[in-house]
Amino acid sequence: MSDMVKTALRVFEQQLGRPLEAALEVCARCGVCAEACHYFQAEPSVENTPVARGEALRRVYRAEHDLLARIAPWWVGAKKLDEASLARLAETAFSRCTLCRRCTFNCPLGVDTPLMMRAVRAMATAAGVAPEILMMLADAAIEKGRSPELFRDMFIEQMVDLEPELRRATGNRHARLSVERMGAHVLYVPLAGVHTILPPAIIFTAAGEDWTLSLFEAANYGVFLADPVRAKQIAARIVDEAKRLGVEEVVLAECGHAYAALRWEAPIWFGETFPFRVVSLVEKIDTYLAQGRLNLDPRAIRERVTYHDSCNMARSGGVIEEPRRVLRAIAPDFVEMTPNRHEALCCGGGGGLVALPEYEELRLRAGKPKADQVRRTGARTVVAACENCRLQMGDLNRHYGLEVEISALADLVVRAMRPAEPNDEPVPVRAEAIAA
Amino acid sequence: MSVLLVSKWAALAGLAVCVAGLGLRWRRSMERARPRDLAPARGSGMAGVVYAFSAGMMPWAKESTRRHWAAYMRGIGFHVGIFAGLPLLAASPWWGLLPHAVRLGLGTMLGLGAVLGAAGIVMRLSEPILRALSTADDFAAIVLVSAFLALEAAALASAAWMPAMYLAAGIVLAYIPLGKIRHCLYFFFARAFFGQFVGRRAVIHPHASGASPATLAGETRQ
Repeated sequence: MSDMVKTALRVFEQQLGRPLEAALEVCARCGVCAEACHYFQAEPSVENTPVARGEALRRVYRAEHDLLARIAPWWVGAKKLDEASLARLAETAFSRCTLCRRCTFNCPLGVDTPLMMRAVRAMATAAGVAPEILMMLADAAIEKGRSPELFRDMFIEQMVDLEPELRRATGNRHARLSVERMGAHVLYVPLAGVHTILPPAIIFTAAGEDWTLSLFEAANYGVFLADPVRAKQIAARIVDEAKRLGVEEVVLAECGHAYAALRWEAPIWFGETFPFRVVSLVEKIDTYLAQGRLNLDPRAIRERVTYHDSCNMARSGGVIEEPRRVLRAIAPDFVEMTPNRHEALCCGGGGGLVALPEYEELRLRAGKPKADQVRRTGARTVVAACENCRLQMGDLNRHYGLEVEISALADLVVRAMRPAEPNDEPVPVRAEAIAA
Repeated sequence: MSVLLVSKWAALAGLAVCVAGLGLRWRRSMERARPRDLAPARGSGMAGVVYAFSAGMMPWAKESTRRHWAAYMRGIGFHVGIFAGLPLLAASPWWGLLPHAVRLGLGTMLGLGAVLGAAGIVMRLSEPILRALSTADDFAAIVLVSAFLALEAAALASAAWMPAMYLAAGIVLAYIPLGKIRHCLYFFFARAFFGQFVGRRAVIHPHASGASPATLAGETRQ
């Protein structure tokens, strides 16, 4: 047995907690899950069924843990792990499963196939056969957390450059983009790119929020690698920052996996309940609306709008009604895709797939059911509260000629804001200092 | 020693293997780690678990079972037969106290379960995807259980089948912890984990008031 296989099996044993054991043992191989998967819907074949993906790991599990497998491995379909089968497993877990959980919701027994695929990803990462790009992106994020001083000044300068636009949009001459301000109520964590900074900044300012901007971005590539050590290191940048600044709430950019990671998974990695709330920007906007803090034109968005449920936000996060309430408040011709909410189809871009160019063709093919679904709505604008979904939807838009606009929820909310008169409204600030 | 007595001992031996095997598996499972969920819940984990074992099992609760309701109902019917067959087996020494019509009614129900089980074998053989995924263990499990149900149905109708029924019961019970049938144990784990997930995260049970969690968390206008 090679060192690579030994490492993979060691990690498998570490992963083998009660939930994974249940997922491995409970499957009755009824095949009902097949059509739940967008890969199978796009290309019906055995290897595109969730049960087949899970079965590939089950064979390894049985070879290690099943009594009958020791006597007659063929009887139970057991197979010892070797380098070739590890490579195949890794390929499947990283390219043919977006960890969307749709199969789990459709399984009569509740088999958690994404949990199994995460175990495979963890094995592949430890054994060094995970996609290199994901490892590089994760390591780059960790490095940024170790030496924030290298880019802090440049980032603050960029934010200062954005302030005139923020002031113009809000009409507020005092509006600022403070970075890591001590004592702020809200710490907003964007993604890479101004497009996830300026619209939320306009919304926060218009709502009179006492907020500051994180130096880091919300994306966590350690999650895609299923590597708890890397994932924790990446999340620690934000957790430590929020604790240091003393914020009461961390608001995450519209990003599905970042939300699932920091809101639900990170407390497990850290072994603690955080002293601040973690919410998505979508939830925050919904709250502002409920509190009457945003002056929005209810007829502002004239075109037909539909909403794509990010799997991480909806099926794994429960953020389902919030974006709908916001859209109904600004878009009279809001229509649902069918199916939607926790039954929504995955767009095919999750699980880190959009970051892996080697699987682009497969990703676009697997996204066809979503493209068909969008087309059936007749919508001109598709809103998605997840950056990876938006990237995938943009690719599907071009590939399948959907002729739609792909938008974040915050962008649409900014479009719906009534023009602001120039004003001198004080911006709520608890502490004036901007961390240097 | 009569054939009936030998077969009864075989059933009891099978039961002992079953209880010991599943007991060992239960203990091993409980020894495995289960990370404590420390994220503040959006909803109720318990409500989710209740959902997972009740409304969530209904044929209309899932897209897959709405689409394949006949196949799902076949499976449900088969499993209802099993869950009825095992307590009836335990009560077999007192079957003589039951009116003949009741015995025939129960036998018909178990026979239907056996037929639905046998239909599962046909499905596995006829559907290319299921055939490709099936192992010998899958076929053995379904053949053994269907045969046991059929023999139990026959024994309810005529006592002459009692030895065959006990023997089949012994084999099935002994096989439970060894093969695929042990999913009966893990079913409860898997559904409970699923229920906790969807309940805590309010995926299936959103807050009844419709307010956002941030609002419910007590945030007020500044």
